[in-house]
Amino acid sequence: MDRQVIQSTGFHNIKDEEGKVVGFTFRVRLPYYRGIYLSQLRPGSCFVDGEKFTKDEITWVFNGEEYTWQELAEDFHTHWVPNVCAAIRVKKEGGLAQGFHDIKYGYSFESSYMPPMMESDEALNPDAESPIFMPEFGHHVNERRLLIV
Amino acid sequence: MYHYNKKGLKRGIAVYSYSAEYGLTKNLEDLFAEIQDMGAHGIEILANTHIDGYPYPSQEWVDNWFRLCDEYEVEPAEYGHWIDSHALKGRELTTEESVEMLKRDIRLAHRLGFHVMRTKMPVINEKLEPVTNWREIIKGVLPLAEKLGMVMCPEIHNPSNLKGEMVQQYVDFIKETGTKNFGLNIDFSVFRTEFKEGEWRDPLYVPNKPEDIIPLLPYVYCCHAKFINMNDNFEETTMPYPEIIRVLQDNNWDGYLLSEYEGPDKYDEGYEVGQTLRKHHILLKNLIGD
Repeated sequence: MDRQVIQSTGFHNIKDEEGKVVGFTFRVRLPYYRGIYLSQLRPGSCFVDGEKFTKDEITWVFNGEEYTWQELAEDFHTHWVPNVCAAIRVKKEGGLAQGFHDIKYGYSFESSYMPPMMESDEALNPDAESPIFMPEFGHHVNERRLLIV
Repeated sequence: MYHYNKKGLKRGIAVYSYSAEYGLTKNLEDLFAEIQDMGAHGIEILANTHIDGYPYPSQEWVDNWFRLCDEYEVEPAEYGHWIDSHALKGRELTTEESVEMLKRDIRLAHRLGFHVMRTKMPVINEKLEPVTNWREIIKGVLPLAEKLGMVMCPEIHNPSNLKGEMVQQYVDFIKETGTKNFGLNIDFSVFRTEFKEGEWRDPLYVPNKPEDIIPLLPYVYCCHAKFINMNDNFEETTMPYPEIIRVLQDNNWDGYLLSEYEGPDKYDEGYEVGQTLRKHHILLKNLIGD
């Protein structure tokens, strides 16, 4: 597993059952000192080479199970540990071209036991940094430049 | 399963300390090897972090857990976990839902050979007070905790004070219910007296004297041996370690001192928290004599 949140392995285009390229996927780790229930996740937007994808165009995959952001918000039983990566799937007809891509993705998580101030919508905005940076909670927005073969 | 058969103060490690390295450069077995190197015999895990497949680990994972305990001569000292009543955005979990979550952790802690849990309850204000229904949640699991011999311990941590209202509420609850399945984990940060110039200090914080722990000792099942700064003479420079240890020994306290390092510098490139923990264990070994 890479120290960066966006992982170098797992970045490629995805095809539907008929072999048509319908999007791309990459993997992320949880930069937190403890695991969380899926309902604690606050998924944000993804930017690739400046093109924006909203959370409606993004799904998360844990253990082969795919979740929309609405499904994540309701699931307080499925748990994600920090030593396992999740896959992010982004809808994009035709996928991404061969070569370099600048990926930027924002997500945050509710930590459940912090004072209310730290758990507000503003503090947990996945597309902006938290007002107080704590290394053991990581950054909300992470970027990486990666190649697609 | 391995059992360290000694009364009195025992040395252990809260493997939360390795949070910047776990999963990247160290796996669970590496952490057991670290503990053995230090001659310590207790481990505190964070259930949500260190148990693969939590809260439903495979039998294979559990078998490996016991292999690690035996091979590295380490016993399960404390099971760190949370009651995540705030896991949903729209509403707080009901008391029944929180009770079910807590029962699941009690059963899992028992399955892994633990007797003591560090039970973290959700916080409702800046004074770090727990959810208002905490008594109902705990009462809802006391029969199960009693049956499985498990004691749930909230951690008392700076800026809380050992003579403060929150600790008094926990002690009152223990006296009212007469339970032996709810107690305290005292974090040594409550004894901290020294701060660097300009370092942030919570305005609510008032340091405790080591002897302030004495009336609480019947309810203390575990201590977080917090340390902030170890010098090269293996002394902790921010809290009176020799006095704290002496008070515990003079009062015949029996339990684990779990080293916990939470300095944010452990996330710096190249930082090796294992070396920092070893310094702390030289101090503890010298004071305890084991």
